[in-house]
Amino acid sequence: MGWRWFHEWGSPKWFYDRAGRWQRVCGFLALALLLVGTLWGLGFAPADYQQGNSYRIIYLHVPVAFLAQALYVAMAVCAIVLFVWKMKLADVGMQALAVVGFGFTVLALFSGSIWGKPTWGTYWVWDARLTSMLILGFLYLGLIGLRSAIQNPDQAGKACAILVLVGVVNLPIIKYSVEWWSALHQPASFKLTEKPAMPASMWVPLLINLLGYYLVAAYLVLASMRTVILDRERGSAWVREVIERD
Amino acid sequence: MSVEHRFLVRELKLVLARPGDFFKPMWFLILVISMVPLALSPDSKLLGEIGSAMIWVATLLALLLNADQLFRDDFVDGVLEQWLFFNRPLFWLVILKLFCHWLFYVVPLILVTPLAGMMLSVPNDVMIALLVTLLLATPALTCFSALGAALTLGTARSGILGVLVMLPLFVPVIILAAGVLTRASDGSDILPLLALLGAFSIAAATLLPLAVGVALRLNIGGSS
Repeated sequence: MGWRWFHEWGSPKWFYDRAGRWQRVCGFLALALLLVGTLWGLGFAPADYQQGNSYRIIYLHVPVAFLAQALYVAMAVCAIVLFVWKMKLADVGMQALAVVGFGFTVLALFSGSIWGKPTWGTYWVWDARLTSMLILGFLYLGLIGLRSAIQNPDQAGKACAILVLVGVVNLPIIKYSVEWWSALHQPASFKLTEKPAMPASMWVPLLINLLGYYLVAAYLVLASMRTVILDRERGSAWVREVIERD
Repeated sequence: MSVEHRFLVRELKLVLARPGDFFKPMWFLILVISMVPLALSPDSKLLGEIGSAMIWVATLLALLLNADQLFRDDFVDGVLEQWLFFNRPLFWLVILKLFCHWLFYVVPLILVTPLAGMMLSVPNDVMIALLVTLLLATPALTCFSALGAALTLGTARSGILGVLVMLPLFVPVIILAAGVLTRASDGSDILPLLALLGAFSIAAATLLPLAVGVALRLNIGGSS
């Protein structure tokens, strides 16, 4: 095991080709998992004894909300990699993750407010968890705005990395806000340490969908990273070859 | 004279040279507060209930008024480059700069808030709690807005971007301060929340100058 992998990961062309293959794999797997999970969840899982069928949006809402936060952590890891090893690819990853993460946050807020209407009787309440999700969205938006404002991509990457690392302080607050204020929103449906309160026929499709959405996120991030790489390396010969080939 | 002493004297001279920057946030605060009864209702009971929260938000906005300017002048005339050649670490100079900003711009603004409290007929004990929360929270707020200013320093038309980027991070401070104010108005114990607020400010004031230093270095050297 030498240092070869390190150089390979530093080469945009190598990553562009590899990521294309990974992207296809992620896409197909995601499609299969989501098909199974969503059909099972919407069609065959039992109805909730309190919420009836309206709870079924959980199969979209929970995975998406989960990912909106997980992608921020992934971005923080990229920021650390950028600072410690000065790896350009980490910066590309950060740029892609910010956009995808923002999309997932908006989707989580949107699906949550659709779910809120039949269960709580309102689209929006100022509950701790909803509020921190909204703040997470603003953090993502700030990152996108900061990057687009700074012309030099190296400088923009480092500035965003600082902001990501400072913003990561916000994530524990999101996670624990439910316990701090214990307001209207139900506590997390999944805990690694405890058995879920739902029957297996409800949470197994949820778990399948969660994995499926993880792969969707991976697909989107890889696709977005490849586009960013093409944009940043637009002067080089291999990009011209790729564009003429496709 | 030590570097620190000269630094403080220079900052004081700069404040005295631009009295406009000193008075504008206060002017803004009183103006916004006078809009509240006009927009809501002149009913003093209602104003007393929401007054403290209105003053908090108005003070926050007034603070952000100058935030973009924090490093701008020093950056344009090359003083920030000289900072790198001091025999002091960059984060220490950042702490000095932020302390001066807090002392010369933020504290005077906080001293004006009792006037705003009278205009909105905020009860005395709530007003005292409000003053304490502002004094405890503003070091953290100053550090966060400094980071926003430092990150957007190199952009040609930053304008409000630094504020937009940093405002979400103010949330814990605002929540804690609001908790203190609600507890003060119903007469329960505010000390635990004040302690948390103080802890947050201390953590921000000790850790964020490091991040601000890194962000400044990004803009000064082009790339580090």
